[in-house]
Amino acid sequence: MSEPFEPKITAFVCTYCTYAGADLAGTSRLKYAPNVRIIRLPCTGRISPMFILKALQKGADGILISGCHPGDCHFTHGNYHARRRWMVFRALLSFTGIPEERIKYSWISAAEGLKFADLINNITEDIRKLGPFDQYHKLIEETQAQASL
Amino acid sequence: MSIEQQYRTRAKELLSAGEVKMVIGYGAGTTAERRRPLFITSPDETERLVLDSACIANLSGYLVTEGLLSDEKRVAVFLRPEGIRALNVLAAEAQLDPLQVVIIGFDLPKGELKALQGSSVDDFTALLGALKESTPDVDGRELLEKIEKMSPEERFAFWQEEFSKCIKCYACRQACPMCYCRRCIVDSNQPQWVNTSSHTLGNFEWNIVRAFHLSGRCVECGNCDRACPVNIPLRLINRKMAQEVLDSFNHFAGTSKTQEPVLASFKKDDSETFIL
Ligand code: SF4
Ligand code: SF4
Repeated sequence: MSEPFEPKITAFVCTYCTYAGADLAGTSRLKYAPNVRIIRLPCTGRISPMFILKALQKGADGILISGCHPGDCHFTHGNYHARRRWMVFRALLSFTGIPEERIKYSWISAAEGLKFADLINNITEDIRKLGPFDQYHKLIEETQAQASL
Repeated sequence: MSIEQQYRTRAKELLSAGEVKMVIGYGAGTTAERRRPLFITSPDETERLVLDSACIANLSGYLVTEGLLSDEKRVAVFLRPEGIRALNVLAAEAQLDPLQVVIIGFDLPKGELKALQGSSVDDFTALLGALKESTPDVDGRELLEKIEKMSPEERFAFWQEEFSKCIKCYACRQACPMCYCRRCIVDSNQPQWVNTSSHTLGNFEWNIVRAFHLSGRCVECGNCDRACPVNIPLRLINRKMAQEVLDSFNHFAGTSKTQEPVLASFKKDDSETFIL
């Protein structure tokens, strides 16, 4: 019997807001799905679109990008720059067939531990329903196959 | 006098008067329908210049050849409106000083050669502004619309099929005037962002990265599309992204030499309907 599908989700978060929000969720002892691997970065402005591609390359089924609300950025406008980049990158991924539902974006402040926990639960459920990202996983498998000469 | 002859004379005058040190134009190619770039430094050679409906390549990329403009002398170059836009993008990104470039402008509406008046980027502001308002007549529009209507799975399958043909020759990168980075992200191996094997995965990643780096900068000159040896329809991705930045940010690349790069600027009220 095969194991039930557990989605792998990678979250790229900024340290000043969303990471602190995740911390608050922890210290408040809120339970949330264990499917997410959090990667902490100094600012949403540092979250390069390459990170999204890298996470997919390593087999992620879903991705979350999250940072400070507009106006709250520790570096004043890193998140405004990031937002433009996401808009463009998102359109590009969608055009090449990488489903929009697999890559989510959010603003979560240091005070929003509850929002963080809820969001992780919801995203995990959504991705669970979508199932593994088979189309992409097949491309990964192809690179791992033994060379036959 | 034909436009070709007029422009040869103009190139000759510019060189003889010492106004420019070089003219970058087109010369005869290996077959009757092909043209190749020609770099002319002496007035006697200007008779070799060719100008006709086969002169489609965007020559602006040669301007950022290392050291070419570093002596502050001027260079003249044959450019179509897309080439002038590319020149503006390069100027806005501080890659060159547009005052060092003398434009010999022409256009090919419906394959008919037409001369363009003006010699410096600012002389073409009205023309480029009008271009922004026009609907470009792109080859493959129907296919683009078809792809937009597909489901994500179908789109993925479509591009998987196309990208599986890519041989990572990077001809598309070499041909693009905007791909001037000394070290391209795909050549970086610490960390290695893009899978370098010839499998579809790395090809997919490479093509996404290429398109992203050109979003809001691409002028749709078609150099990349024509350079691709396996005929991947790169024009479709370029078009899609140009449309995206136009719709989202009212940005049309290369309308002026001081235009803010779209992904290096922002507005506080940029749309964010997709952010939870
Ligand atoms: S991406 Fe292609 S069409 Fe766009 S500017 Fe570069 S070469 Fe021209
Ligand atoms: S020119 Fe075509 S085959 Fe070569 S790297 Fe670009 S997309 Fe791939």
